[in-house]
Amino acid sequence: MTTAVQRPTLVRSSDRMIAGVCSGLADHLGWPVKFVRLGMILACFAGGAGVAFYAWLWTMVPTADESAKRNARRPASPIAPAVSLPPVPAAGVGGAWVSKAYDAGPAPAVPGGPSGGVAPAAAGPAGGGSSAQAGASSGYGAASVDDWWGGSALASWFSFRRIQYGKEILLGAALLLVAAILIARQFGVDVPLGTLIPAAAILGGAAIAWMQLDETRRAGLLDKTKADQAGGWVRLAAGLALVVAGVLVMVSGSGSWEQTWLALLASVAVLGGVALVLLPWGLKFWKDLETERAGRVRETERAEIAAHLHDSVLQTLALIQRRAGSEQDVIRLARAQERELRAWLFSDAAKESGLLADRIKSVAAEVEDSHGHAVEVVTVGDTDMTDRHEALVQAAREAMLNAARHGGGTVSVYLESTAGSTEIFIKDRGPGFDLDAVPEDRLGVKESIIGRMKRHGGTATITSSSDGTEVRLGLPSVNADAGEQRNNEARNGEAKQ
Amino acid sequence: MTINPDTGAGRTVRVVIVDDHTIFRSGLKADLDARMHVVGEAGTVEEAIAVIAGTRPEVVLLDVHLPGGLGGGGREVIAGSAALLGTTSFLALSVSDAAEDVVSVIRAGARGYVTKTISGKEISDAVIRVADGDAVFSPRLAGFVLDAFGTAPADIADDELDRLSARELEVMRLIARGYSYKEVAKELFISIKTVETHVSAVLRKLQLSSRHELTKWAAERRLL
Repeated sequence: MTTAVQRPTLVRSSDRMIAGVCSGLADHLGWPVKFVRLGMILACFAGGAGVAFYAWLWTMVPTADESAKRNARRPASPIAPAVSLPPVPAAGVGGAWVSKAYDAGPAPAVPGGPSGGVAPAAAGPAGGGSSAQAGASSGYGAASVDDWWGGSALASWFSFRRIQYGKEILLGAALLLVAAILIARQFGVDVPLGTLIPAAAILGGAAIAWMQLDETRRAGLLDKTKADQAGGWVRLAAGLALVVAGVLVMVSGSGSWEQTWLALLASVAVLGGVALVLLPWGLKFWKDLETERAGRVRETERAEIAAHLHDSVLQTLALIQRRAGSEQDVIRLARAQERELRAWLFSDAAKESGLLADRIKSVAAEVEDSHGHAVEVVTVGDTDMTDRHEALVQAAREAMLNAARHGGGTVSVYLESTAGSTEIFIKDRGPGFDLDAVPEDRLGVKESIIGRMKRHGGTATITSSSDGTEVRLGLPSVNADAGEQRNNEARNGEAKQ
Repeated sequence: MTINPDTGAGRTVRVVIVDDHTIFRSGLKADLDARMHVVGEAGTVEEAIAVIAGTRPEVVLLDVHLPGGLGGGGREVIAGSAALLGTTSFLALSVSDAAEDVVSVIRAGARGYVTKTISGKEISDAVIRVADGDAVFSPRLAGFVLDAFGTAPADIADDELDRLSARELEVMRLIARGYSYKEVAKELFISIKTVETHVSAVLRKLQLSSRHELTKWAAERRLL
């Protein structure tokens, strides 16, 4: 038993006689399938327990396909961990419980132990009236209670494994207890069922409700999906109904069913009335809570904006007042602040950097800061940065620096990036210069712009007149021959003009 | 599109300034030169619609972001003055470079867009140009157009609204590069009038095109 550490999940096998229950169970327990089938048939003669067991497993245990599908999209539900948790390998204690439970007797409720994740689902339709179903529900409730406070009492016992085991083991234990009681009754021992069932119902109901409360707190009230909340409400209602029914049966003693039903009806009516009266208050309270929370979020946002404005805009305004004499400084400060604020207001957090347009913009900002002339950047299209594009950026930076230094006034930068090539145009409105008249020892234009572009397979053209100077940088894509060709044609066409 | 051949020949252009900042309005008023006369000012959407209907100016300098109304800002003012679009032209002003602000006000019917950092001379020229029925494109708006329509020229089979012609693309590229209309004309060996015709054609396409890519582009930038 204890050696079977890696136990396969309990699923209905495709190797089937009827529904694949026995072979699935055999796979799960590691027993020969023949014995399981034989045991099942024998159990059928024990008051039809085998039939009930088989039918229950048939409905509750998924087929292998369904199980795979469910595992593929398992929801992370904080409310119902027992249902949604992956079937972890049951070992040691769990396995022992299973075998004992199976040996102990063919009570219908026995498989609650091994089937783990299935048992809680069975608690749903409970409360009908048959002792087996009531047993199942009370068993689940008892297990839950144990789990609820078991966090401290059984902590040492289960400390080396997940707490869900405790839940399942205790569920099995409770079901065993039920089976034992039933067997004792068979042998004529007088068991006060009239007291036990209502007590179990109360215990179970309270456990369901309390566990819900505890889990809610654990998950945190704020981040829960609606589905979880709905499930929580259902469980709360189920717990409440169980407790009310249990209390009523207990109070009315061994009273008749008609009496109990009447009392149940009356109490439901009373509860409904109370809910009706309290509902508006509850809703108002909830709304107030929401309003307050929204207000707090707004307040936080406002504080953040205020802090940012203080650090940036107010400081800049103070600087501007102190430097009011220098027009150049004022313009530079205002431009830098405008750019910073714009970036803060309109930047897209999701947009990743490292693209060419962003690089060009940051270079332009740098030039603007150092020379105090506005650099207007317009970009069309974008591309990833490569080493060659870095060279393009450096050449463009040099051109911008020249334009800001010698041109004066606004510098216009236009970046156009298509699949075939990338082009950058840097234009100023300065007095212009004669490229041939630039001394050989001035490396700026010849080396940093033209030479750099040529080395990386690009082109650089400079046109200058008395209206201003324009530097055109072109960089064809490496792996776009057609685009390059088209681009060359375009450039030739441009040259003709 | 009304063409006033007598603009600049002693006649003044009647202008309404719509902006919610009083300081900016007075500064702009001082910047406009003698060729134009400010006949009204407004600070909210409702005021603007009332003032424009009352004074019937030739040009409205319209801030994109305005309080009041349904929150539509400058776009809403243009929509509210739709009956006057034949005689009144709108020139959008904005501190925002965001594409959604600029393109939405252009598509609502504005004849052009300039940033608020523009100099006094430039804004005066822009007002005259709009009064003459032409379009005013800033480099940035030209960039948006190239981005939206793509940089490949139109095939003959294409719907003419959906793409820019090769010549229009050239004009847009030069404007995006910072060329003035005069410089564009010189560069392409065409007259300024022809440049203005091309620009107006692009503006019309930007306003009317329902091109798939343009719609997608606009949707990505939350313009629709």
